[in-house]
Amino acid sequence: MTAPSSVATLAVGMSHTPELRRGLGLTVLLALVGAGGRVVIPVLIQAALDRGIDGERTDLAVVWWLCGIGFVATVVASLARRAATRRLGVRSEEALYGLRVRLFEHIHRLSLAEHAEERRGALVARVTSDIETMTQFFTWGGIAWLLNSTLMVFVAAVMLAYDWVLALVAFVVAAPLAIVLRAVQHRLVASYERSRERHGVFVSQVSEMITAGPLTRAYGARRLLTRRAGEAADNRLAAYVRASRIGAFLFPSGEVFAVLTVAAVVCVGVVRGPGGGLTAGALVGFVFLTYRFLEPIAELTEILDQTQAAVAGFRRVLAVLDIPAGPPEPLPGEAVMLPPGKLAISVDGVDFAYRPRPGLDESTVLALRDVTVQIAAGEQVAIVGATGSGKSTLGRLLARLADPTTGAVYIGGVDLRRVNNDELRRRVMLVPQDPFLFDSTIEDNLLFARPGSSRAEVVDAFERLGLGDWLGALPDELATAVGERGEQLSAGERQLVSLVRASLANPDVLLLDEATSAVDPLTETRLAGALSRLAVGRTTIAIAHRLSTAVRADRIVVVEHGRVVETGSHNELLAASGRYAELYEAWIAATGA
Amino acid sequence: MSRDESPVAATSGRSQLRRGAALIAHHVRGHPVSFATAVGGAAVFATCTVASSWAVRRVVDQVILPRFEAGPQTWATVGSAIGLVILIGLVRAAGVVVRRTFAGITQYRAERDVIGLLSDHIQAQPLAWLQRWPSGDLIARIGVDAEASVSVLAPLPFASSTILLVVLAAAWLLAADVLLGLMAIALFPILAVLNVIYQRVAARHFDEAQAHLGRLSSAVHESFEGVVVVKAFGAEARETDRLATIASHLRHARTNAALVRADFETLLDSAPTVANIALIIVGAYRVKAGAITIGELIGIVYLFTLLVFPLRLVGYALSELPHSLAGWGRVREMLDEPLEADPGDHVGPSDPGVGVELVGVSFGYSADRAVLGDIDLRVAVGRVVAVVGATGSGKSTLLGLIAGLRRPESGSIARSPRRALVFQEPYLLSGTVRDNIELGTERSDAEIERALRIASAEFVGRLPTGLDTVVGERGVTVSGGQRQRIALARALVRHPEVLLLDDTTSALDPATEAQILGHLRSELAGVTMIIVASRPSTIALADEVLFIDGGTIRARGTHGEVIAADPLYREIVEAYEHDRSDSESPGDTSPEPTLRGNR
Repeated sequence: MTAPSSVATLAVGMSHTPELRRGLGLTVLLALVGAGGRVVIPVLIQAALDRGIDGERTDLAVVWWLCGIGFVATVVASLARRAATRRLGVRSEEALYGLRVRLFEHIHRLSLAEHAEERRGALVARVTSDIETMTQFFTWGGIAWLLNSTLMVFVAAVMLAYDWVLALVAFVVAAPLAIVLRAVQHRLVASYERSRERHGVFVSQVSEMITAGPLTRAYGARRLLTRRAGEAADNRLAAYVRASRIGAFLFPSGEVFAVLTVAAVVCVGVVRGPGGGLTAGALVGFVFLTYRFLEPIAELTEILDQTQAAVAGFRRVLAVLDIPAGPPEPLPGEAVMLPPGKLAISVDGVDFAYRPRPGLDESTVLALRDVTVQIAAGEQVAIVGATGSGKSTLGRLLARLADPTTGAVYIGGVDLRRVNNDELRRRVMLVPQDPFLFDSTIEDNLLFARPGSSRAEVVDAFERLGLGDWLGALPDELATAVGERGEQLSAGERQLVSLVRASLANPDVLLLDEATSAVDPLTETRLAGALSRLAVGRTTIAIAHRLSTAVRADRIVVVEHGRVVETGSHNELLAASGRYAELYEAWIAATGA
Repeated sequence: MSRDESPVAATSGRSQLRRGAALIAHHVRGHPVSFATAVGGAAVFATCTVASSWAVRRVVDQVILPRFEAGPQTWATVGSAIGLVILIGLVRAAGVVVRRTFAGITQYRAERDVIGLLSDHIQAQPLAWLQRWPSGDLIARIGVDAEASVSVLAPLPFASSTILLVVLAAAWLLAADVLLGLMAIALFPILAVLNVIYQRVAARHFDEAQAHLGRLSSAVHESFEGVVVVKAFGAEARETDRLATIASHLRHARTNAALVRADFETLLDSAPTVANIALIIVGAYRVKAGAITIGELIGIVYLFTLLVFPLRLVGYALSELPHSLAGWGRVREMLDEPLEADPGDHVGPSDPGVGVELVGVSFGYSADRAVLGDIDLRVAVGRVVAVVGATGSGKSTLLGLIAGLRRPESGSIARSPRRALVFQEPYLLSGTVRDNIELGTERSDAEIERALRIASAEFVGRLPTGLDTVVGERGVTVSGGQRQRIALARALVRHPEVLLLDDTTSALDPATEAQILGHLRSELAGVTMIIVASRPSTIALADEVLFIDGGTIRARGTHGEVIAADPLYREIVEAYEHDRSDSESPGDTSPEPTLRGNR
């Protein structure tokens, strides 16, 4: 995959940020008027030398007049420039805000296939650090590009108006600068790229050195990690020094060419003399104009790195916006409600693949292949299989957190893709393993399921699941803070909260993704009790990690390597002496203390 | 920046300058030559800037004006005047190259020194110290604060040369004409004050924006992390609204900063132009009076245009100082932390035949809460002991003490010297499986393969490039159970005499777990094992059980003995076993299970 050019990226980017385009014409016009302020002095010098200042014959009245006009022009240009800068600032912030919100919205709407754990850091970075690099660019670099380029155009126009011969001489002598800039710019950009890359490696080595603290101290491996971080720091240093050296040569290149151009202009002007209508004032003014013309080059070389980083960030942001949102909601006219009452489920020839991470294990591995399962309304089904067999994925498809790659899932006889989204969320509920809690109170986490529930309803939900005593034993009961990711609670307690959360939502189909990790015995007991109470009267599908759950189920579906290999009741499957019987024997042997 | 809101940044201006000088002196002392070279380059630049205005005056007075008033001149006059302009321009540019190159070298090398000091100091601290600091904070000290502490070095040579430039320019202007000189010099402090006011006003908005940005980052992190819950409850729109509110605060602060910036940029940009216009008016009077030549007036105006840029950058250098000081303050805070003793020094060799011995050992994470109290424990070489207890009973702490990662508050610990501890949460370094097992030591393939086999980690052989497969963030994804097995192999390859397992097989299915435990029993005869267990199968492997409750050893003996003697132990183990008891009545398919623990 080759990256699209910077210009192409910016063009696509502009189409995603309508805020930036709004009123851009007027802003550019104001910037042009503002650029006029930069030529006031050269023009004034020319006029003053030619019309007023002439040794002892100096006409002071004319000088006053000219300076008065110059002052008014400066004030007008300054106001225009201020307006242009303010407009750009406001629009940029508006655009960045809009882009951020569109990203949040889009990322939340992405299929869970895009939310693999390995990609989460990247998605967070899109909304935070990538947009930040763009902010830096918009608030300085972007404005500088616009103002400096309008300035160069403006000054060039004034030069041509003064004396086209001298202007051409200036352009011809200054032209090679463009070639030099292009040549060095590539190297500079590459060196900045390398710097950023090595900085990234450095930061991750340092993080590793710190977070691996227990490991390195238990295994006497501190020196290994210190060395790795040190090498990363050395590599970063080398890249930084190199980039700063290239930048050091590029920075004054505008000045060098300005000096050469001024020399050429003066030589040609002196040779031509007053014959061609040229005046001394115009020639001196021209010297000033030439400096002004090449002055922005220095600043432009400074913002090159920023620009490149911003374009790269923009490109990554656009790539996320380009991922089709999923699963797509049915069109308003075609959305169907589910039939009332208990719901049957049918999985029909389903394949599913997670999106591969670019650059890594590119070959797509099917998490599910050709899965077909029928579940009757009100039935209690357990799906069993080893870790990574695809059973959790199956649960996610049933909740329509993602759509099958091929095949279809029907609930109550309706293809999930046609079901009204709100209806689906109301009737079908996934209780994830290791449930996530927001950094807030228990009550807030429960209200997330049904905003506006009264306190009595919430407490009642605890009682119905037999968890009233547990709630009562918490330090602040419902107001107990759960901490980041709910980590103030134990894994088992988080699961309790998540079961109550599910019960408040009162779904007709309950998808339980059991946790793998062991929880302490008392909580385990509470969990099992709450679970069985919650299951009453609902179609329940347990993604089972404990075979005891399977034993209790009406029917068991055995998944292996993404395929359904067996279905049947516990006794039937034992009698069949297949994969389930194997798993069960191993389990009995292991737990048969 | 919100991280800058430390007391360090808030102190008075005078003491800030004094501490700034100390900070700069510290950094420069390490790299005097490159810093001096940078300052030298800057001085060349300053001198040439003033000289170039003199050259322009010469071109106007000796070349341009005579040509248009008196006719053609000799090539020598023209050539020498123009040649001087070019020469001065080139030397000036060379000064810039030297200054920027060596300022960069000074800055980045000084930063590298700070990074080295910080990592060495942090790595020399024991685990207990490390765990008192949030990881993110420590990472930021090395990755962010070190960089901030040297950021003042980059503009420093330029800033110092600007002072030289101002002095030279003032002298030149005064020499050319006292009145014009005084007028011009009056502008310097005005620009400086404008700059300082701008920095102050803008800093307020930037600080506010930074605080909002921090809030946004953590909210985004949380929202994306909880994506399954968000989707399960159809709360996508609610979450977007929540994040958008925070983002709009950020936008508000940033917009204010942009507006302030636009105002000051305009002022800073137009003030020199206005001053220049005034110079031309007064200059016209002086020319008419014959006090100065036209060339001198033009030279002054020209010099003025050159001064604008440096004068603005001085403000930038000043604005970096508080940022640098804040970073340096946090670096110093870390370096001033006294080095704590290695708790491993506290563990002595055990008597022959004894694998682990603890006498009167107590430990508390905080002074008022003892985690373990007065533990006496003697385990013979080759014994396998299962440690059982409720969450928070002190099991992991006990292993940490035996491993020598924690220092007991009282009592003594002795054990066979070679030990290996496997954590419940296995940590894989970025790198290959081999790197992760060797951890900087050299191990033969045969050794590694044996360890992998005992740990039932044969899956490694099926990875794309076997032992040399890169795992972790940048490599292939391995499951929790696979991580645990690699971590176990890492311990086994070290041929430990004492093996400490902290619920190391929790993410494995019971069959694999049983297989591994079987391997450990058969292959590691003579190795003393202390195993924190939460599954009956693990407990069953042990020669004896150590039942911990409330930080003390409540009971010890074989599984049968303890279960007979201690009802609490029986309750805990029965709760663990309820899965099994259910399975023994396979005919019961009622969704309401019979649970003995659920009374």
